[in-house]
Order: sequence, then structure tokens, then C-alpha cells
Amino acid sequence: MLLRRSFLTVGRRVAAKPITPLAPRTFTTSLKRRAAGDGDPKPGEPDGKMIPFEEIKTEHDLLPPGAEPGTVPTDLDQSTGLERLEILGKMQGVDVFDMKPLDASRKGTLSDPIIVKSAGDEQFAGCTGYPVDSHVTLWLNMSRERPVERCPECGGVYRMEYIGPPDDPHAHGHGDHHGYEEPKTFADYVRPEYRGTPQAHYGQ
Amino acid sequence: MVRSNFQAHPFHLVSPSPWPIFTCISLLALTTSGVLTMHSFSLAQDFLYMALLLVILSMSFWFRDVISEATYLGNHTLAVQRGLNMGVALFIVSEALFFLAIFWTFFHSALSPAVEMGAQWPPKGIDSVNPFELPLLNTVILLSSGFTVTYAHHSLIQGNRSGALYGIVLTVLLALIFTGLQGLEYTVSSFTLSDSTYGSCFYFGTGFHGLHVMIGTAFIGVGLWRVLAYHFTENHHLGLESSILYWHFVDVVWLILFISIYYWGS
Repeated sequence: MLLRRSFLTVGRRVAAKPITPLAPRTFTTSLKRRAAGDGDPKPGEPDGKMIPFEEIKTEHDLLPPGAEPGTVPTDLDQSTGLERLEILGKMQGVDVFDMKPLDASRKGTLSDPIIVKSAGDEQFAGCTGYPVDSHVTLWLNMSRERPVERCPECGGVYRMEYIGPPDDPHAHGHGDHHGYEEPKTFADYVRPEYRGTPQAHYGQ
Repeated sequence: MVRSNFQAHPFHLVSPSPWPIFTCISLLALTTSGVLTMHSFSLAQDFLYMALLLVILSMSFWFRDVISEATYLGNHTLAVQRGLNMGVALFIVSEALFFLAIFWTFFHSALSPAVEMGAQWPPKGIDSVNPFELPLLNTVILLSSGFTVTYAHHSLIQGNRSGALYGIVLTVLLALIFTGLQGLEYTVSSFTLSDSTYGSCFYFGTGFHGLHVMIGTAFIGVGLWRVLAYHFTENHHLGLESSILYWHFVDVVWLILFISIYYWGS
């Protein structure tokens, strides 16, 4: 009788209070989560995520997430490299390549020159005047040291804007003189205040 | 986005490759050994087969590089795709002009048959093939293959992988059946290449057409492998589109062959 009563009491007490585990999460749950594929990718495997356009910095950021087996991949699933950059740019409304011709919508002036973006140290621009094709194409040279150039025929002003890779601080200074003296152009007669700052250092 | 870390222009400046010069040398070997074979030089035929193998190998390695650059490196931006499309179209135009020459030579002989042939076309003594037997079947086979390849293409665009695979496999099967039947036609034919200008024109036309069918079959076969290997996307599948364009061209040439040489020329 005593034993039966104590059993009943113990049973009631056990039923009333839920069993609390020793730790909030045990080791078995870790095994389950790893098996579910929730964790990190294996070394060398892509992680199946897409980097937002603004955060693309290296070629690795342009690797695609990949599609499910048994389906036909879409361009977003599978395109890589420069092709992917173009597609992602188009989705954001950004023209990644900018293949537009020289801006001939107005005549550039010293206070409002036509900006020519350049990824290199020097840039050609072929001026045909304003309105376009007013005169024969005259080729103008602009460089990072001397970004402003004027057309000898119509006087249109062009200014180079460097958008290329930043300078390597460890590289030797590049030879300004190629062994000969370059002939004077109209750019040499532009007043210093209009000459534009040399773009030798490009800040990101 | 660090734009300056990536190429400024959309075009693909190809890295140095040995395949163009290898292909050139192989083609030189092919043409030289071909000429020597035709003039019955000893061992020339062995060189011909070796040169043919070399050409096929050089081209295969070249195309393999193109596939790597496109699918695995992402060098084929829209500008590059446009250029490739133009290249394929121009190549097919050049092939069309080649077949134009073949049809020109046929019509030159057939429109005013020489007295030596009996002033009739087909020449006297030539038993021409009945166009409504095997050639008509072959026409139906090629037209059906055009239908299946279009079905495969549209399935791919709609994201239907199994439809695309079925379509391409059927196309290749029909192409192989066509080639087999043409081979059969050749073996049971009552005239040979040397049987007057009729034989020359017939085998010149159908022979080069058959060669183009084999090339087209291989082209679509590569497309089949690439669909299986998930190379293509719904939107970007220039290799397959080029092979389909080439196949339609081959089909059209057969139709003209059928109408001019088989039907009108019988």
C-alpha cells in the first residue's frame, strides 16, 4: 500500500513537471543539421549564392549559383564571367561596357567640356564638330597628365576622365617622354586654370 | 562594384592557341594527299586518311576550346554572340555558293545535252533513279528531322529538358537513317561516277550533300552532348542554334537536289 501510494505520487509529480534536458541542444542535432546540407560548402565547391551587383569585386564574385539537375538552366543560374557581368548590369540598368560613340550633342567648352571616360592612360577622341559631321574627323589625344584637349578645327573641348584600375604604388613611374618630344597641340595653349587636374592618382 | 577589375570592352580577344596553325597544316596535308591520291601516287591514300583524321582532330580541339571559353569562362557576351551568329551565317552562305557551283555544272550539262549523250537527258543508256521510291522517303525523313529539331529547340527555350533531349535524339536518328539509306542507294545504283556527265553530276551533288549531312549530324550530336551536360541555358545556346541553321540548310539543299536532279533530271 505504501509502495503503491509512493508510486502514484511519483507518477503525478513526474507527469506535472516536464523533463528538462541537460543541455538546450545535444550533439545529435548537430549531426542532423550537417546532413541536411545547411552548412558550409565543401572546399572548392561553389556556395550557391549570388552576389549583389554592387558588391562584385573579383572574378570569383561572378561565379553562378547553378541550376537544379534535370532542369534547363536560365542565364541567371548559369552564366559566368564577363557575360554574367553584362547580364547583371542590364538588370540594374547599368551599361557595363558603354559602347556609345563620342558625345556630339553639344560643343564642348572650357568650362563645360565633353567628358570622355577612359580605362587607359591615353585616349583617342575623333572630333567631327557640332552638329556631328560638320568637319572631317580630327583625332585628338588625351592622357592622364594632360586630360584636356581642343579640336584645331572647331575648338571643341574634350576632357578625359580616368576610370581604369588604380595605380600600383609599387610600380616604377612610367616614362613621360618616349624618347622624343611630342609636337605641340592646342591643348598646350589652354590656360592653366582650364587645364584640369592631372589624373595620375585615382581614388576608388 | 569595382568596374576596373573587369575588361572594359565586351569583345573576346582570344588567348594564343595552336589550333589554327594545326588546322592549317592538316588542311594542307589533306589537299596535297587528296591530289596525290587522285593521280594514283603510291601510299597517297594512306596519307589521305591520316590527314583527314588530323583535320578532324585539330578542329575538335579548337571547338573544344571555344566551348570552354563560352560555357566555363563566360567570354561570350552579347557582342561576341552577335559576331558568332554573323560568322555562322556567312559560313552557310559560302556553303550555299559551293552548292550553287554544283548545281550550275548540273544545269550546264542537263539543259543542253550534248550529241554524244544522244541529245537527251538523262543520257542514252542511263537508268535514272525513280524519284518516288527511296529519294522521296529520304525527303520525308529530312523534313521530319527538321520538325524534330525545331521541337527540340523550342523545348529548350521553354525549359523542357526531356523534350529537348527527345527531339535532338530523334533528329540524330533520322539523320543517321538518311545517311544509311543514301548509302544503300549508292550500292544498288545502276550507274557510277564515271558513267558520263550524268554520273559525275549525280554523285558530285549527292556525294557532297551526304558529306554535309554527316557534318551536320556530328554538329547536332555535339549539341546533344552539350544539352545532356547542361551547357546550354534557355536563352544562350548558340552552338545548338548554329547546328540547327546548318541542318535546315542541308535540308534545303536536299530539296533542291531532289527537285532538280532526281525529279526534273529523270
